[in-house]
Amino acid sequence: MDSRPDPARNVDSGGAGSTCTLEERRVDDISVVGVTGVVDMLTSPDLEKAITDAAKSSPSAVVVDMTNVEFLASAGMGVLIAAQDELSPTTKFAVVADGPATSRPLKLVGVTDVVDLYATLDEALSALRS
Amino acid sequence: MADSTHSDSGTRFANTNVLADPARAAQLRQEFSGWLSRYFKLDPIRASDVVLAVNEALANAAEFAYSAFDKPGTMHLLADYEPGTAVLKVTVADEGTWRIADGENTNNTRGRGIPLMRALADRATIDSSAGGTRVCLEWNHVAPARQPVT
Repeated sequence: MDSRPDPARNVDSGGAGSTCTLEERRVDDISVVGVTGVVDMLTSPDLEKAITDAAKSSPSAVVVDMTNVEFLASAGMGVLIAAQDELSPTTKFAVVADGPATSRPLKLVGVTDVVDLYATLDEALSALRS
Repeated sequence: MADSTHSDSGTRFANTNVLADPARAAQLRQEFSGWLSRYFKLDPIRASDVVLAVNEALANAAEFAYSAFDKPGTMHLLADYEPGTAVLKVTVADEGTWRIADGENTNNTRGRGIPLMRALADRATIDSSAGGTRVCLEWNHVAPARQPVT
């Protein structure tokens, strides 16, 4: 409801701004979305789209790997909660994060009560395969 | 609208009259983060906590404060460090109206900004009035860097 288009946004976010790189790959029947950089108000719509795209090929699970995320704001946490709501129960969902900028705030506000969190991608993959 | 003004030193960071939109909120967060690492010696957890809490205050100003207005107004970020008490106080202010209630929607996908600020700061106060909203975030035991890190 508050997402009025702002024509200045694209211009202004280009500078020192928020850079987020998203890469999807497949590990057996699990889809892994690798995220690098900043997940904030500006970039979280891109993460949301990447998760939606990753789920299209009907994987058994979608894993968001935030190992290389340097900043995670509440806007990004909202995307993770929404993904959990939308994917379950047909597709499993998990997040990989470990560090003061990622797993710490996720735990502090209880996102990890809702979304499964793993410290490494290997841990997530082996848990989801079993 | 007044032009935005900026100043920084070892005891003060000020950037006022910044257009309250998401891109400027991100830019302001980065400038503040640079100031923090230049003048203070913080462990990675505390540094991360301060920047995230300040981001959430700026994000609320950029996203909610002027949503009922025809065009966005301005936001202000002021940080003051008191060497005697080692307290860092950060104020984020706007002249708009927040439409989110404290603690509401915490199970929803939105509304985690205020719980985050409260969890990350040693003290967090939010004063809303007809004239705007002022978020005040404070941290104790903040040590200055021996030499500014350039």
